[in-house]
Amino acid sequence: MGGAELIHLPLPVLLGALLVLAGCWLLALKMLKLALAGEQEPQQERDWSVPVIDAAAGGSSIFHRWDVRFKLVALLGFAFLVVATRSPWSALVAICLSFSAVLLAGLPLARSMRRLLAMSGFLAMFLLIMPLTAVPRPADTLLVFSGLEYLPFNLRGLQLALAIIGKACAVALLMEPLLATASLPRTIEGLTRLGVPEKVGQMILLAHRYLFVFLEEARRMATGMQVRGFRRRTSIATLQVMGNYLGMLFVRSFERTHRVYDAMQSRGYQGRFPAPAYFAVSVSDWLLAASWLLLGLALLLFDRLWLGGV
Amino acid sequence: MHISDGVLPISVALGSGVASLAVAAWSVRQTDADDLPKVAVVTASFFVSSLIHVPLGPTSVHLLIPGLVGVLLGRSAFLAILLGLLLQSLLFQFGGLTALGANALLMGVPALACGLLFSKLRGTTQRQHVIVGGLAGGGGTLASAVLLALLLASGGEDFFGVAKLALLSHLPVFVVEGLVSAFTVSFLFRVKPELLRQQRLGALS
Repeated sequence: MGGAELIHLPLPVLLGALLVLAGCWLLALKMLKLALAGEQEPQQERDWSVPVIDAAAGGSSIFHRWDVRFKLVALLGFAFLVVATRSPWSALVAICLSFSAVLLAGLPLARSMRRLLAMSGFLAMFLLIMPLTAVPRPADTLLVFSGLEYLPFNLRGLQLALAIIGKACAVALLMEPLLATASLPRTIEGLTRLGVPEKVGQMILLAHRYLFVFLEEARRMATGMQVRGFRRRTSIATLQVMGNYLGMLFVRSFERTHRVYDAMQSRGYQGRFPAPAYFAVSVSDWLLAASWLLLGLALLLFDRLWLGGV
Repeated sequence: MHISDGVLPISVALGSGVASLAVAAWSVRQTDADDLPKVAVVTASFFVSSLIHVPLGPTSVHLLIPGLVGVLLGRSAFLAILLGLLLQSLLFQFGGLTALGANALLMGVPALACGLLFSKLRGTTQRQHVIVGGLAGGGGTLASAVLLALLLASGGEDFFGVAKLALLSHLPVFVVEGLVSAFTVSFLFRVKPELLRQQRLGALS
């Protein structure tokens, strides 16, 4: 393996490290469950009029007062600057910046944590695979565990994986300040003013609304199937039932949507919802956007020049 | 089948973002205003189907249905997939903001190809519909898995292992998808064949 530096370690070190990792993950799951338990509302009839993305849209933080267009451009630009960095240390700084955005916006932490957990499976795969599959280079440090000599553990691979995980977390933490600090129609209106076709905005609103209806429908149908004795197995028959299930979901959703769309048109819908949205640009909008982009730029420069973009 | 933020090199993330914006703009122009409800339905169903799990031996896989989206929507399929992925990322953090373009390309381009394949070869009999539908469903997933592996591999030789693993793990999914799509097309052919017609959606002919 070239001139790579080899460090031999006994196997129990690896097992211990794996145990600690699994423990941390379980603890995070447990804590999230506790945090969400407090958020659960009593079971009552579902209120379809409440979309879930923008649950905290009523706040009054600096993010809530920020013009949606500036917020979208600045935070999206910041996200791209963050993913352009290469070192795990800059990713850590980015996480701190994004986390301070969540705190500044006064948003509940549980929702942001749920986002992080949703990605944890995919990212854990990177953490496991990258150190084992990264190609050894002369300057690398390889850990070799006794009994597993054929599977060297490349520390540069671990560094790569940690950088990826850090960047993914930093961007994920930005999502709540980006989306939850204004109502969804207002965010869409901002997108439209930025040049996204109106049709697309309407589609997002419609699809977002239908999504929950269809999820409920899918759940109802699945319950019906189960009550009638359907059990999922690895068999062609199961696949046939799933195919029919999906087809029925399409048919029902389509018919429902068509009825709703006809009703909307007969009430004068012409491709947009008349929503009064006032957009007034102030100096603070510019300042806030500029400071976020400058922060991102500074981070990228720091990463490339100082840390040498490992 | 999602790439999350931070995985792709910045040039690939930006490039695929620009490319998918261009394809999406074309897809929007091909979508008639009267078809918005249908596109919204398939967008939402695309989202929901990723939560439907099919058991496979000791584990289970969730459906991706890029091929089926293509079959149902033709040229509007790319728009539906882009928006479905956007909503998945906004609501559940599946995929990511900066990788949205790459994710849309890797599922949307196969969807467009499958839509074209289906409209050309569907014929008139149920048998032929089912065979072509199954091919489109399986082929769409296979093509997506290959694109996923290629995009992951763009990170350099250190990412080849991850890319190979991603490709391998999707091989069983591709068989499941092909069969489920075939059954779904067969169901729609018998129950509501007009859903399989793409002509108002800017026919692919």
